[in-house]
Amino acid sequence: MSVSRDTIVAILLLAFCGVLWYASYDIEITSYGTMPSSVWPRIIIVAMAVFSALLLLKSLSSHDDAPVEEASSEPFFRRYRNAAIIYALFLLFLLTLPTLGMHLGGALFVFLSLTALGRPSPKLIALHAAIAVISIGAMWSIFTFGLRVILPQGEILPI
Amino acid sequence: MIIENVLFAFQEVFHWKNLGLMFIGTTAGLIAGSIPGFTITMAVVLTLPFTFGLSPVEGLSTMIGVFVGGLSGGLMSGMLTGIPGTPSSIATTFDGFPMARKGRPGLALGLGVWSSFFGGILSAVLLVTLAPSLAKIGLEFGPWDYFALVLFALTITASLSGETLIKGIIAGLLGLFVASVGEDEVNGVARFTFGSETLESGFDFLPVLIGLFAFSQLLSDVQNTEKARQPLMTGVEAKGIRVEHLAAVRIIFKRWVNLVRSSLIGVFTGVLPAAGGSISNILAYDQAKKASKNSHEFGTGTPDGIIAPEASNNATAGGALITMMALGIPGDVITAVMLGALLIHNVQPSPTFITENPDLAYAIFIAFFLAHFIMIIMQAFCLRAFLLVVRIPMYMLAAVILAYCAIGVFALNNIQEDIWTLFVFGLIGYAMKLLGFPLAPMILGVVLGHVAELNLSRAISLSGTTDQFLLDMVTRPWALFFLVVAAFSVVFPWYQKARERAAWTLGYLPALMVCLAVPMAMMEGWPRTLIAVVLVLGAVYLLLQSARRGWSVSTDDAA
Repeated sequence: MSVSRDTIVAILLLAFCGVLWYASYDIEITSYGTMPSSVWPRIIIVAMAVFSALLLLKSLSSHDDAPVEEASSEPFFRRYRNAAIIYALFLLFLLTLPTLGMHLGGALFVFLSLTALGRPSPKLIALHAAIAVISIGAMWSIFTFGLRVILPQGEILPI
Repeated sequence: MIIENVLFAFQEVFHWKNLGLMFIGTTAGLIAGSIPGFTITMAVVLTLPFTFGLSPVEGLSTMIGVFVGGLSGGLMSGMLTGIPGTPSSIATTFDGFPMARKGRPGLALGLGVWSSFFGGILSAVLLVTLAPSLAKIGLEFGPWDYFALVLFALTITASLSGETLIKGIIAGLLGLFVASVGEDEVNGVARFTFGSETLESGFDFLPVLIGLFAFSQLLSDVQNTEKARQPLMTGVEAKGIRVEHLAAVRIIFKRWVNLVRSSLIGVFTGVLPAAGGSISNILAYDQAKKASKNSHEFGTGTPDGIIAPEASNNATAGGALITMMALGIPGDVITAVMLGALLIHNVQPSPTFITENPDLAYAIFIAFFLAHFIMIIMQAFCLRAFLLVVRIPMYMLAAVILAYCAIGVFALNNIQEDIWTLFVFGLIGYAMKLLGFPLAPMILGVVLGHVAELNLSRAISLSGTTDQFLLDMVTRPWALFFLVVAAFSVVFPWYQKARERAAWTLGYLPALMVCLAVPMAMMEGWPRTLIAVVLVLGAVYLLLQSARRGWSVSTDDAA
């Protein structure tokens, strides 16, 4: 018997509700005469658990667990490769932000994302570099001078 | 007093800086709306970071410009390539594309642009007249009623926006939970912080919203490598097209009944929480086809098939703004974003919004009117910009916009934690999309979470006990009214699936009317009692009609 995707999601959601319910006991109980702070989240958790259980029952009783997207013969990692790359690059951008700053980090993020997603040709790489510098430069100028936002400066080029 | 407020609002809206921002916003909306895969919501979301440094009037006017421009921009790609730029212009392609293919692209564009204009202006008139009246009704609401209204907004969003109702409700509950993280507004007690100081202030609305909506959308857009590397659109032939303005206006005036009917459909759909232009354009097209003597011409390039969807989708914006301004409840995801923009400027949308912030309210009315005129002016220029933009591959746009998201989110509070929030909710949004969970209920949950909790807390305090609170929820007319429509909105997906197939669906509408008559009869004032009587009589009439047809659900049998 194969387990459908919705079944796994429903089980994970139920486990999530369990964790949240347990965590709700850490909420301080006040005596201000108002509704205790734990009541509203608990109402949400109970409702979420009920609907997760319904989703579980529905997924178990349903024989045709219709996929959300069109069925694809592509392997899993290849299918989500681009999203994973962008996500990893964004994480790298965030981790290096205190060092590189928004200008260098942002330009590097745009350049690497474009190069990873685009066709590998010297002409395109040069174009990607130009797009990265111009777009981040424009945005940095608008926010810094136009909207008076002090963006993270970084340690390498503190401007 | 009103004249003073109107004059002040005029002064603010027609200030050269605000006018410039509205021109930029409307143009950006027109271009964004014309790009398939780049939704109006995403355009409005991406406008938000720019509004921090602006006054509330400037910020809201810019966003209204993007909103109106986006609704009208979708028709360009739909008519010239057959691929609608936004879901709001799907029905426009049914007749717009055939008309353009027959050698009349200028007339097709003219009909689309001017129908959008007239639909928008009609809805603006209704916005100005109805919003203050609806707000007066909103002043009757107590915390019980407001809590029930939020429940209704969430249930109807869940039932309309998703593949399955259960997933929609779970998404809405997740949104409510996200809003409950951090210190609560009533007691100031930290919740679900897991020892993190950063979480004590909760999640800011904007990083969550941009993460859920824009970040996840961009990741989906670049999922397919080959598609992401190709220009956004190919084979767009639009050189030498001249929009036939005069001919289009003449044709629209000859078909004014269709225009008015479609605009009213749009306004009504917009007033309902969660139902936006994507639904209204199909509804209006369907009604225009049913009402037409030449229904067989629909789909071949008939003007009525362009007028109906374009008038209705722009009118939807006015309807959504009515709900937002009068009740403080977003009519759709776009007005949810606008509501967030108001909160950023410390303006709390509620039934007292129009009376407490008349200058801002009138400025919104005027900006909504003005945006339609700007849209007409800018449409011709945007046709050229559209031809340039569609040559860019999606992966280039996505990478640059992602970097912009990070900068924009940082600008909100000048803290890097907000970019981490964007990052986390980007992943959550992407995963939810892949797993078939609609994002609209979650966004509404995040926006309305605080309102729901605050009103629940007030209601329980005023009622004294939980039992009394529950009793008040079913004995107060407005609370009961919203609970009834919430309950019926939960059943609505099943009704829609079974309509014209199962006999029980014949009782859905009469049952709703009778159930709504109960709270209406409980309300004070004879007009509401009269409405209750009309509702009951209407229900009886519908049941008698069904009985006369022998409870047959097939339309063929009925004919």
